Order: sequence, then C-alpha cells, then structure tokens
Amino acid sequence: MIPTAGLGLKSQHYDDAIICDADGLWFEVHPENYMSAGGPRLAALEAVRERHPVSLHGVGLSLAADADPDADHLRALKRLADRFEPFVVSEHLAWSTHRGAHQPDLLPFPRTRAALDRICDNVGRMQDALGRRVLVENPSLYLPLQGHALDEVDFLTALVARTGCGLLVDVNNVFVSASNLGYAAETYLDALPAEAIGEIHLAGHAPDPGGSGLLIDTHGAPVAEAVWALFERLIRRIGPRPTLIERDDDIPAFATLLAERDRAAAVLASINTAELHHV
Amino acid sequence: MSELLAFQDAFVAALAGDGARLSPWLVSSDADAPGLAVYRNTIAKGCVDALADNFPTVRALVGEEWFTGAAVLFSRERPPEHAALLDYGAAFPAWLERFEPAADLPYLAGVAHLDRLWTEALFAAEAPVLEAAALASLPPDTLAAARVRLHPSLRLATFDAGVPGLWLSARAGDDALELGESPQTLLLIRRAGAVSSRIADDAEAAFLRACREGDALGRAAERAAEAQPTCSIASLFAGLIADGAFSGLDLDPPA
Repeated sequence: MIPTAGLGLKSQHYDDAIICDADGLWFEVHPENYMSAGGPRLAALEAVRERHPVSLHGVGLSLAADADPDADHLRALKRLADRFEPFVVSEHLAWSTHRGAHQPDLLPFPRTRAALDRICDNVGRMQDALGRRVLVENPSLYLPLQGHALDEVDFLTALVARTGCGLLVDVNNVFVSASNLGYAAETYLDALPAEAIGEIHLAGHAPDPGGSGLLIDTHGAPVAEAVWALFERLIRRIGPRPTLIERDDDIPAFATLLAERDRAAAVLASINTAELHHV
Repeated sequence: MSELLAFQDAFVAALAGDGARLSPWLVSSDADAPGLAVYRNTIAKGCVDALADNFPTVRALVGEEWFTGAAVLFSRERPPEHAALLDYGAAFPAWLERFEPAADLPYLAGVAHLDRLWTEALFAAEAPVLEAAALASLPPDTLAAARVRLHPSLRLATFDAGVPGLWLSARAGDDALELGESPQTLLLIRRAGAVSSRIADDAEAAFLRACREGDALGRAAERAAEAQPTCSIASLFAGLIADGAFSGLDLDPPA
C-alpha cells in the first residue's frame, strides 16, 4: 500500500486506528511519547503498525541547538526506528534543549552561515545514527529576529544540498509564519525545491487569545480553508506527497479526523501527475 | 562562545523575563515582544500538561488552579532534562514536600510519590510472568533454596500514615478522603498493560523486600513470618504469583 493521507495517532483513538481500513491511511507519532522501556503505548503502536504504515516525527532532538544531538535520545530513536520500521523519520528546524534543560517547544534562531554549518553537522549525525535519510520541517515563527544571513527557503535548500536530507513542509506553519512575520506564503511555497519534499503537514491555527494579532499553530482546530488552498497549490506544482492531518488539542472523534484526512486524500488523488506544472 | 550559543543563552534569559540580552537580535525595540510570550506560554503549557498527565491524583486533590500554579513554579526551577516528557517530574514529589503553600497538606508529597511510582510501573520493561504451574513440580527443599525475580514493573512504598489508602480512594474518585494513622504499604504491578495497585500487608511487604534483596524463598518466608507471625506463607506466595509480582525463578544450584 502506498501511504497517501494520514493522521497523527492519538492514544484515545488506538482501537479505531487499528481497525480502520481506509485506503492509503497511515499514522504518525512523536517518538518521544514512546521512549519507554515497555508498557501499553508501545504495545498499541505495535498493533497499529501491524495494519498501517507509520512515521516517526521527532519534536525533541533540538537540531538547531549549538550542541551535538543527545546521544541517549538518538539511541532511543534508533531503537524505535528499528522496531517499527517507519517509512519516514522527521525532525524540526528548531532547538529546544539548552545547557541540559529541555524547553518543550520549537524555538527560533538567527539563520547565519555558522548556524547552517552547525545544523548540517547535526542533521548528518542524526542520519548517520539512524542509517537513513531524514526529513526536516519548517517551524512556526512568532518573533521577528535580526541577523538572518539566509531566508528560510534558502536555508532549507542549502541544508538539503549539503546533508542529503529531505523536507517536511508544514503548510500551516508556512501560513502562520508568513502572517506573523509579514511575507507571502505563496512565494515561500513556490520557491521550495520540489524533489526534496517527502511529506506535507496540515493543521489548524488560532489567533493569539492575548490579542497580539499573532496566529498560533495550536493543532487545536480543523485545517483552515486558506491552508487547504495553499496545499492544493503546492501539490499541483510538486505532485502528491504523503500528507498528514495533525491534531493535538481539543481532539474530536476519530471519524471527524478521518473525514478531514479523506479530504486531503481526495486532493492528492485529484492531481493528474502527467499534467503537473513544471517545477 | 558561538553566536548561536550566545543567542540561545539570551533567548532562555528572555523566556525567564530578562529580555535585555536578547535585544541585539530583536527587530522590535520592545524587549517584551508578544512573540516571546507565545513561546513562554507554549513551554509552560507543555510542562504543566506533562505534569498533569503524570500526577493525576495530586491534581484531583488540589484542583486545577492550584496544581497549575505549582506546576509552573516547579517547571521553572526544574525544567525537563530531556524530551521524553512521559518521564518528567521525578523531582516533583520532593519539591512539593518543601513547597510552602503545601505545608497544610502533609500527605501531598506522598500522594505525588505514589503517582510517580504508578508512572514508573506503567512504562517499566516488559518481562514474562511467573505462573504457579512452574513451581508445582518442585520439591519443598528446592523451592526453599530458589530465588524469585521481581517483575520490573513492581513498586512498593511504605508510609508511616495511611497515604496509600488515601491515594487509592482519590484514584477511585471517592469524595470522602481520610488519612489513616497506621503505617501502610502500597504495591503496584503492571499486568496485561494496566497498572494494578493494592495495600500489601506487613508479611507481603517483608517477603517482597527479602526477594528484592536476593534472599532465597525459605529465608524470605522467615522474614514474612517475623513481620507478621499469623501469616500463611502458602497463600501469601500464591497471591503474589497471581498478582504477577514475579518474572522468573532461579534454582540454587542452577538446574
């Protein structure tokens, strides 16, 4: 089976996930939630994996920290990759661990040449440890920074060229960051190297309840229509890619998420690959 | 120091409220930019949600508002050490013991300790479970000289006052919670993917501690009888086997 549109796997939906037989359905998990010696979560993931392709989407390796990736974390990730044989392993262009403390978020940094060197090293270490290519995801950004030597697309393109990694394009993150930092999401998406893109994420966002005018990548709502439009635009250019609906807050019934996932699958199926726009 | 590390030092300081060091990197002159608050809130929510998952009985006893306030303070003092938040909060019980606003809740740190043991039991390594049938054919002398291996999920905690009973009642959703005055031991074991917990009597606690310390079954039985002279070793042992307390048996000398 070729993975088409998938869902983030939630613990309250394990039983639904195991029995669902939608064509092309796959599931994604954060490996950090399964980094235990044993227990029922690993057993449930085992049961899901017997029926569906699975991807491991890391949120905690801290590739953009000015430090080597944590050796224990890499070992734990390798054990999960060996056990569950994911069709994709991915991480974020962000940092979260700093001087021994882990901040559970995906934090920004000035995209300097030195930062590029460091992150290329870290992606290389991750790929060497796992013995496979990984995908790197664009983050949601909230804070305008000075000192960028490269814009994000050029930075990601250089990362791909130098490490052989691929890209996970989170279309909602592009929409949120473009809105927060004042650039055009379409221009950003049009400039991404098509052949490097191995997966797409879609999720919901919300205005900052603090009234700042920022959009927040909450993963707590259905995918916005503007994000669906950007998704269609992207895959019309690059062709179908495994696409994930992410939902981490205010989680609805499995059937509701599956309907959203079916919409993504229909968009992917509607693309006639012979008539793709030239990339 | 690299610029990246200097930036990250300044960013972490800004998250903690000292925005001045980050200003060289900020476009806006406002050192309290709203974007920083978004990161700060996301980090706090990540820590509080993880602690709420890992300490549900503490949260049920003190209420969401009190719990969130304490969890935010704890996470600032003791942020997670790694990204696997299912393990976050090992230091929370001891921290609560010194937390001034918890001074009139003397059982709270103990309740947190039992929540932590429950999480440890849930995520402990897998192991086979010793079945009674495996012992049926052994002569009594062989059995007395054998040693049992405790299941990796087994946890045991004894309290001077009745924190385990209070914890069990709170966990079951009982409204009437009372702290008994006698010492109590709680036994937690994961079996078939779920953690079960019950009060262990003095003989069971002594027996399990003897096994954990490497005593042969004969000696463990003596220690159980010393702790509680009226106990029946046969039914005690059968009960613990049925609980899934043991993962294997080592004969001495090895067969």
